[in-house]
Amino acid sequence: MFSIDLAAPGVAAVSGRLDASQAGAAQAFLDRVAGVVTLDCSRLDYISSAGLGVLLRTQKRLVAASGKLRLAGVNPHLLDILTYSGFDQIFEIEPAT
Amino acid sequence: MSMPVDERDISAQGVRAILAVTTALAAPFDLITMLAEVVKAAKQVLGADRGSVWLYDAATDELVLEVATGIQPVRVRAGTGLAGTCARSRAIINVPDCYADPRFDPSVDRSSGYRTRCMLTLPLIDHKDVLVGVMQVLNKRAGVFDQDDEVLATALAAQCAVALQRVRMTEAVLEGEKLRQELETARVVQMSTLPATMPAVGGYDVYGTFMPAALTGGDTFDLAMLGSSLLVVLADATGHGIAPALSVTQMHAMLRIAFRLGADLETAFLHVNNQLAATLAEDRFITAFIGVLDPAVHRIRFHSGGQGPILRFDAAKGVCDVYKPTSFPLGAMPLASMKPAVNVDLRPGDVVLLLSDGIYEYCNSQGEEFGVARVEQLVAANHRLPAAGLSRVLLHAIAEFAAGAPQEDDITIVIVKREGMAAASHAEFVRDFACLPAIFAFTADFFSREAVPAALLSAVDFALEELFTNMVKYSPSGSPTVAVDIAVIPGGVTVSITDRDVEPFDVTRAAAVDVNLPLEQRRPGGLGLHLVRHLVEDLDYAYAPDTRSSRITFRKTVGGPSAGGTGDGAGRQSVLD
Repeated sequence: MFSIDLAAPGVAAVSGRLDASQAGAAQAFLDRVAGVVTLDCSRLDYISSAGLGVLLRTQKRLVAASGKLRLAGVNPHLLDILTYSGFDQIFEIEPAT
Repeated sequence: MSMPVDERDISAQGVRAILAVTTALAAPFDLITMLAEVVKAAKQVLGADRGSVWLYDAATDELVLEVATGIQPVRVRAGTGLAGTCARSRAIINVPDCYADPRFDPSVDRSSGYRTRCMLTLPLIDHKDVLVGVMQVLNKRAGVFDQDDEVLATALAAQCAVALQRVRMTEAVLEGEKLRQELETARVVQMSTLPATMPAVGGYDVYGTFMPAALTGGDTFDLAMLGSSLLVVLADATGHGIAPALSVTQMHAMLRIAFRLGADLETAFLHVNNQLAATLAEDRFITAFIGVLDPAVHRIRFHSGGQGPILRFDAAKGVCDVYKPTSFPLGAMPLASMKPAVNVDLRPGDVVLLLSDGIYEYCNSQGEEFGVARVEQLVAANHRLPAAGLSRVLLHAIAEFAAGAPQEDDITIVIVKREGMAAASHAEFVRDFACLPAIFAFTADFFSREAVPAALLSAVDFALEELFTNMVKYSPSGSPTVAVDIAVIPGGVTVSITDRDVEPFDVTRAAAVDVNLPLEQRRPGGLGLHLVRHLVEDLDYAYAPDTRSSRITFRKTVGGPSAGGTGDGAGRQSVLD
């Protein structure tokens, strides 16, 4: 199941599947973060374009306020999607080790 | 002799005589008639009393004289006697007084009562300088053969040699044709025993096919119902020509009769073996797999006399098990008793494959054999195909491997496949985002059940979600549910999603997205379809006006784009092409 929580100061952890049915919940959570935030994706199994939309809106809001969203622990499937979307140019991405 | 023969002129009378016989020499098509015609021509042209023609047998280096039909021909070694000397020297020999020449053999005269006085012996050499034989003309009616006769005889000999060689070649062709027709007849008999249709066995898909080689081979197969069981046979008789085709046809009939009379597997195998051992030639035998499938308990019991390897594809493990023959080939020697049959239990999707050695031993032009490993790989990759389709894949692969190298042996394929669970699924999902987890559960369940590579699942889910959410968002007044169909194909799956009561919208033509825009200009819209086009293969849209339905189909296979590997930015470039 999908979940998103603050794991540490400046670090949010997302897990499960970020699809269109969960995008609203994810957006509601990320609308409350500020500054430089790392999103730990190491337990994120799946993302769809609805999830990408959430990330994009969050990044625009944070960058406008001199903050940013960093993506960490990105698995190969997510990396494919982020790359094909050009998101690797607008996000700092740290692949899963 | 004062002058070489070929430098002297032929008289006008001689030319006329040769021309007269040339027409006669053109007619015959069989050797006996031609020999008689040549002798007649020689007597006529040279004014001789008798003549004979010896044919040269290059295989034995002998001269052969056809005396009369039904009597053994006379044979003389090249180099002995007048004819043999002429054959060796390829030069004309003119003997005016035979009894004064030590090379002359008077025994023929003694037995016939004829007296040979003078004799002209000349080589028959055709236009390609091949020695065809030796011609002898005896007893010139007036006097002895002179130098003019030698010239005339040499010219005549050339004509005779060519005519004889033509007939010999014609006869060789006709002999080959006769053999071909006999072989053809044997093949017809051999093929007539093969099952005309494949038996229907509940829960099983069975198929057999036979491709005869041009000249040799003795394969056969059988797939026939014995009550509620299925008889499965593949056999291959050794040897070349007509014999193996006949041997294997005989074995095929014996087996059918044995089972028809109620024999069990062991009894049939043992008695057919012992009968063949008694009747087949010493150096002949038949390799044979004889098995009986009980479809009620999904078990094949078999004996294999020298026929192997026997492959059983284990669908659960995804690999082939290889079984060896259980005994020596049929007919090799009598059997007093039998070892127990081998039992092979078939689980859903398992496939038993019997292939004749014409497949395993098919050589390409480099002399490399097709081998067992290639067959195993092909079966592992194509086991989901129907039996006939799997057979076609194998034959196609062999043809590709051969790359024109000829088929030297019969090829036979027998496939017994236990049908698996449904390799395709259909489900309906209510037009609501809340159904996404149900869709993902459906695909995950299918992937797990059909052992589809898990690395493909994310891309399939992604494409389905994007297409489904598009339908939910843009066609709210469509039918209450959206249909999803998924089926296994070689190396992956094919998926379709169908929306009914909607206006056409071809997602494959959605506008490209510029993924290189700076952050502030980026919009999430259109990204989903853009990604779908990169993650799956053969995305296709079709609209059916009668049902007002949009169907989007795609495939996802191992080896297709982005099968879960790392992105390298190539996709980003291609969007802007």
